[in-house]
Amino acid sequence: MEQIERRVWRDFDWPLFCLMATLVALGLGNLVSATHAGSVGLLSSEVERQLVALGIGVVGLVLALVVDLRRLERLAIPIYLATCALVASTLVLAPMHRGSRSWLMYGPIRLQPSEFTKVGLVLAMSWLFQRWPPTALTRLRDLWRPGLVMALPVGLIVAQRDMGVAVLTLLVGATYLPFVRIPWRAWALVAGTGIATVTGMWFFVLADYQRSRVLDFLEPGRDPLASGYQVIQSRIAIGSGGVFGKGWMEGTQTQLRFLPTQHTDFIFSVIAEEWGFVGSAVVLGLYLTLLLWGIQVARRSRDPFGAYLALGVVGIFFWPAAINVAMVIGLFPVIGVALPLFSYGGSAMIASLIGLGFLLNISMRRFRS
Amino acid sequence: MARGLRSVTNVEALSGGRLALLAIAIFATFAIFLSRLFQLQIAEGDDLRRQSERNSIRTVRIDAPRGELLDREGRVIATTRPAFQLEVIPSELRRPATTFEALGRLLQRDSGELRARVGQPRGRARFQPISLAGDMSFEELARVETHRFALPGVVTEARPRREYPDGDLAGHVVGALGEIRADQLEAPRFEGYQQGDVIGQSGIEAVAEQWLRGVAGGRNVIVNVAGREVDRLDEVEPVPGDAVVLSLDLDLQREAVAAFQLSPAEAKAEVAEPGITEKLGALVALDPRTGEILALVSRPSYDPSAFAGGGIDPKVWRELTHGEWKPLQDRAISGQFPPGSTYKAFVAAAALQEGIITPQTRFFCPGSFAYGNRVYRCWRKEGHGSVDLHTALVRSCDVYFYEVGKRLGVDRIAHFAKMFGLGRTTGIDLPEEKPGLIPTSDWKKQRFGEPWMGGETISISIGQGYDLVTPLQLAVSYGAIATGRAMQPHLLKRVEKPDGTVVSETQPKVLSEVGVKPEFLAAVQSGLRGVVEEPGGTGGRARVPGVSVAGKTGTAQVIRLDANKNVPEEKIPLRYRDHAWFVSWAPVEAPEIVVAVLAEHGGHGGAAAAPIAQRVLAKYFEKKKLAVPATETAGVDGGSITAQVHPAAATPAPKAAAAAPAPKAAAAPQPAAGAADEPEAGDGAD
Repeated sequence: MEQIERRVWRDFDWPLFCLMATLVALGLGNLVSATHAGSVGLLSSEVERQLVALGIGVVGLVLALVVDLRRLERLAIPIYLATCALVASTLVLAPMHRGSRSWLMYGPIRLQPSEFTKVGLVLAMSWLFQRWPPTALTRLRDLWRPGLVMALPVGLIVAQRDMGVAVLTLLVGATYLPFVRIPWRAWALVAGTGIATVTGMWFFVLADYQRSRVLDFLEPGRDPLASGYQVIQSRIAIGSGGVFGKGWMEGTQTQLRFLPTQHTDFIFSVIAEEWGFVGSAVVLGLYLTLLLWGIQVARRSRDPFGAYLALGVVGIFFWPAAINVAMVIGLFPVIGVALPLFSYGGSAMIASLIGLGFLLNISMRRFRS
Repeated sequence: MARGLRSVTNVEALSGGRLALLAIAIFATFAIFLSRLFQLQIAEGDDLRRQSERNSIRTVRIDAPRGELLDREGRVIATTRPAFQLEVIPSELRRPATTFEALGRLLQRDSGELRARVGQPRGRARFQPISLAGDMSFEELARVETHRFALPGVVTEARPRREYPDGDLAGHVVGALGEIRADQLEAPRFEGYQQGDVIGQSGIEAVAEQWLRGVAGGRNVIVNVAGREVDRLDEVEPVPGDAVVLSLDLDLQREAVAAFQLSPAEAKAEVAEPGITEKLGALVALDPRTGEILALVSRPSYDPSAFAGGGIDPKVWRELTHGEWKPLQDRAISGQFPPGSTYKAFVAAAALQEGIITPQTRFFCPGSFAYGNRVYRCWRKEGHGSVDLHTALVRSCDVYFYEVGKRLGVDRIAHFAKMFGLGRTTGIDLPEEKPGLIPTSDWKKQRFGEPWMGGETISISIGQGYDLVTPLQLAVSYGAIATGRAMQPHLLKRVEKPDGTVVSETQPKVLSEVGVKPEFLAAVQSGLRGVVEEPGGTGGRARVPGVSVAGKTGTAQVIRLDANKNVPEEKIPLRYRDHAWFVSWAPVEAPEIVVAVLAEHGGHGGAAAAPIAQRVLAKYFEKKKLAVPATETAGVDGGSITAQVHPAAATPAPKAAAAAPAPKAAAAPQPAAGAADEPEAGDGAD
C-alpha cells in the first residue's frame, strides 16, 4: 500500500496540475482587474469571495484526487442523487432571482446547486457506461438509461427556469453520444424529425406572442436592447485590445464599466481588452491544452470508469468555455453562460476544481489496472 | 461486481478514433475562436480602438456666461449667475422609492411627480442625466448636498443662468431667451449653434445675440459608463459674452413704470377692472439729438426671468398669451393707434411750409364744420371763435384744422407726416416694430379700389380716420418738430468686452431732415409750448417747474357701443374707453428729451397721459440738476421712487410676441364717423 501510494505520487500529473494552477491564477488576476472599478482597495469583495471559494475548491480537489476510483464508483449514484436533491430543494427554498430559482441563500453563503449537478451527472453516466458500455448501445432505444439519467437533473434545472445551465447540462451529457454505436442514419432521422418539428411549430403553429413567450421562457429577463448593447461594447472592448492589449487594469472599457456583467459572463472581453490578441491566444491555448490533456487522460486510463469520467470532465469544461467565448466574441447569441475558472462565481469554481481533481486522480492512477 | 465490465479495455470503453475526432473538433473550435480574435483585434483593431476612445472620451461643452445688459450708467439690467441644477442618472439609482421620497422632502415637491419625470428609461438612456430642478435655492442645494452620499444617482451641476434683477421693469426691451428653433439652426446667422442652445428670441437679447453669446469653451474628459467624469484631459476656458450698454436710463424707466401704477383712488374707481393692476399703455422717452432711447415702457409687461432657462412653465405661458391685455406685445413699438390731436402739429407745419396759412391766419370756429353733406364738430360744442394757429394748437381747435386740412389735401399732409418720421418703421434696434399708417389717395385706391373722399381728409387733419402711429414714431416725429430732424431711435449704445474695451458704438443716424423752414417750425413749437404753459392749454399737467416744456395732447378714439354713447367716460367698461396721448419735449429751445405717452383706454390726453409724461420729465431734470455739481452720477438716485414690479404678472414668449396682434384699440379707429369729438381735459382747468 505504501509502495503503491508512493508510486501513485510519483505518477502525479504535474503538467496538468501546473496547467490548472496557471489558469486559476490567470483567472484570479483577471478578476481583480475586472472588479477593480468602483471597489475600495485592490481586492474587491468579489475577489475575496472568489478566494474563499478557491479555498473550499482546493479541499474538494484534494478529496477528489485522493479518493479511490472504486470507492468513487460506488459513491457515484448517491452523489448524483444528492446533487439532484439539492437542485430540487431550490424549487422550494430558493427565492426568485432574476427570473430563476438557482440560488440557495443562507446568511452569507450563496450556493448554486445546478453547478454541481454536472459533476453528479458525469459520475452517474460513468457508472452507467461502466455497466452498459457505449459500444454496446446500437439502437436508439438503447439510450433510455442514459436518457433517464440526464432527464432528472435537466428537468429539475428547467423547473428552476435556469435555461442556460439546463442546456449546458444537456450538452455535458451529450459529450458521450459520439461514443455510442448507433448508426448515423438513425441520428439523421432523429435530428431531421426534431428540426422539422421545431421549425414547423415555430413558423406555422406559434403566434407572435407565443414565440415571444418561448423566447422569454428560454431566456428570462430577455432585453434585446440590453443584450445588443452588451454585444457592441464587448466587441469594442475586444477589438480595442489590439495585438498586445491595454495592460492589466488599464482597459478603458473595463475600468470605466462600459462592459456589462464584465466579471461574470463577459470576463473574456476583459482578457482580450487588457492583454490583446497575444494574451487571449495564450489563455485560449492553455484552455485548449487542458481539454486535449483531458482527452489524453481519458484515452490512457486503464480503468473504463476513469475514462468515462475523464471524458465527462472534458465536457464540463469544453461546453461552457466554447459557448461563453463564442458568445463574447459575437459568434453566438448572448445566453448566461460563464467561463469556468475565470468568471466570478464560487459554486462554479468549486465544481470545476472537483472536476479537475477527478482528472488528476484518473491521470495519476493510469498505470494501475 | 460486474465482472464482464471489469475486463473492458479502455479501447473498448472509448474508441480512440472517436476520441481523436473529438480532439480535432475541440481544436477546430478554438481555431475558429482564434481567427475571430485575429479579425477583431488585428484587422479591425484600430477602428474598434477609436470607438473605445469615443466611448470614454467625451468633449463637454462649457457654456460661456452670457454678456451683461447694462443701462447708460452701468447699472445691471441682465446678468448671468451660476444656477444649481439637480440631475438624476437612472442607472446609478439604487433604491428609487427611497431616493425619490427623500428628494421630494428635500425639495418640497411631490415625490411621485419627480419619479414620473424620470420614468423608466431603457438602454442607453438610463445613463443620461435627467434634470429635476433647474434653479435650486442655496437652501435646497445645501439640503441635497448634505444627504448626497445617501442618494446614489443624484448629482448637482452648476450652470450659468440668466437673471433680471428688475423683473418686468423693462421686459420688452430685454426680451426673452429660448431654445434655438429648427429653422434658425439653418440660418447662416446661427452658424456654429447647436440644437438645444439657448439664444435671445426677442428684444435686445435677440438683437445683441452675437455679442452677448461669447465663445463656449470645452474640455475633454474621460467618463465612465454613467457619463460621470473620472478624469480630465484638457480644457479650453469659455470666453464670456460682451457687455451691451443700453441707452436706457433705469431711473427714468423706473419713474415711468411707477407713473403707470394706480393710485389708491384710481385702483378703487376709475381704471380698476379684473386682471388689471396698473394703467395700460406705453411710454417712450428719447434724446431727440441722438435718437437714444432713455425709457421704453409697455404695460402690462412680463418678467424675462420666466424664460431664463430656455423654456417656460406652461401655466405662465398660458397666462401671458391668453389674457385680454397681451403683456407680450410691446405697445411702444408695435402698438398702432390713431394719433388724434397730436397729429395737428404736422398738419400745421405742412400748411405753413406749403403757404396755405401763416401763423397769423385766422379761422372762425363756431363749434362745427360743414363739408359735403356732413357736419364735423369741434370737440368744444360752443366753438373757439376766431383763432389763429397758436391758439388753435393751444386749445386743440378741431375746426381750425378741418379748414387747413381741406386746403392741404391728404397727399400733402401725408408727405409732411412722413418727413417727420411717420408712416414707416423707424428702424429702432428691436424686432417686431410696426410701421403705422399714413394714408394717401393712392394708398386708398390700391387698398380699397376707391377714390379718396374729401370728407376723409377732414378726419385725417385731426389725426383720426386711417391714421395709425406707434408711440415710438410719435416720439421720433416730435423730436423732429423740436430739432428739425428725425433721428433714428436706438437702444444699443455701446458694446464692451469684459475688460472694458469698446467693441462697437452706435453713431447717431439721421432718419430725415424736415423740409420746413425754421421760422415755421418755431411757430409750431411756440403753439405746443402754449399747450403746456399757457392758461387754457390742454397739456397744463405736464408743467415742470424751472423747465420749459412743449407738448400736445390727443385722443385716439375707440369704437364704442351706442349704449355707451352718452355715458361719462369713467362709467364705460375699460375696453371701450378712448386712448389718451401726450407727446412732449423739453427744454423747448434746446431739446434734450422727448416723452411720448399712450395711456391705453385712459380717456383724455391731458388728464391721463400728461401727468405720466410730467413725472418722467421732472425726474430727468431733477437728475440733471443733481448731476451738475456732482462729478459722477451713478449713485444718484434722487427721487428714490422705485418701480413696483409684479413678477407674477410676468412672462413673454418670443414667437408669441411676434404673433400677437395689435391691441384691440389699434384696430378700431372709427373712420370719421360723427367727426371727432375731442374733449381734452385740462381745458379751462388750468
